[in-house]
Amino acid sequence: MTEKPHATGTVAPGDVTRRVGIEMLRQRGIDVEQLIQKLIDNAAAEFASTYYYYSILRMYLAGHEDYKEICEDARLEDRQHYELILPRIYELGGSLPYSLHEFADRAGCPHAYLPGTDNGSHPPEQPPSAADILTVLLESERCAIRSWQEICDICAGKDPRTYDLAARILNEEIEHEAWFIELLAMERDGQVQPSGHFRRGAPGEAPYSRNRAFHHGGAGN
Amino acid sequence: MAGDGTDTFHITFEFPDGSEHTVTTDRDEYVLAAARRAGLDLPSRCEVGWDLTCAVRVLDGELDHTDAQRYFPADQQAGFALICRATPRADLRLRTHQAIAMRDHRLAHRLPTPYGV
Repeated sequence: MTEKPHATGTVAPGDVTRRVGIEMLRQRGIDVEQLIQKLIDNAAAEFASTYYYYSILRMYLAGHEDYKEICEDARLEDRQHYELILPRIYELGGSLPYSLHEFADRAGCPHAYLPGTDNGSHPPEQPPSAADILTVLLESERCAIRSWQEICDICAGKDPRTYDLAARILNEEIEHEAWFIELLAMERDGQVQPSGHFRRGAPGEAPYSRNRAFHHGGAGN
Repeated sequence: MAGDGTDTFHITFEFPDGSEHTVTTDRDEYVLAAARRAGLDLPSRCEVGWDLTCAVRVLDGELDHTDAQRYFPADQQAGFALICRATPRADLRLRTHQAIAMRDHRLAHRLPTPYGV
């Protein structure tokens, strides 16, 4: 009986059709196919439901420049989350849908439609209030927290790589929720609910989830 | 309906372990909110009737999904409901934890759905 269970396996030397990095997960009870589907759902939520729709929400925060900047941080960091998790989907043997339409449709969280547009079906007849926009932002972040927490729960103690990626994303989603609670509590209710937030060093800094620099400069930017 | 003309409804939840819990609500309260108020712990994620985490099978009764962000006539015809954004229009009997069944229904009808529920 081996004393090194991690050194056992069924992948033969030179076999390029299978990955030890996946087989080890199966041995530990991870349903890899299900995990891939959840990661694609989450990636779609980051890319389509929030990054795209936050662009529109940000545009309608005119006159609330502080909210606009914080919305922009969340928007760019959600794009970063998509970038961070994308390679992992392929490492595990998955693939993005070959249709952007299909990708958006399977998002695990709702599209953050601009209020007053009937779920994006027409322009708003009246500019939505800042409180209405902050409410959409807040609930979007809450859905993201639930989604990434689920990945952490599935991977804890079994898949340290996916766990690490999900936990980094989760860190920022939790921050985003606290930001929007703080802003909405004051804007809507006149109440102080401090988040601990001051500002990112640069828009969309993504202190936990930054993977590969994709805007301005290279690594370390 | 309770039969007293007050639009008070009784909702009975059938859980996977065979247990049943009945709560009382009105026509303006989301079914999930009524369950929470009664201390029931039911799965949910989006809270706007988009993903299928809160899906139930409607064994009896009628719901209003006007506030749900993504709910299709085929969902209703197949007897599924998204209780985070559905309000009762009659007394209800609901089987909880039906996300996977509803996902399979959506896929069979080529309707939008998360795959990983």
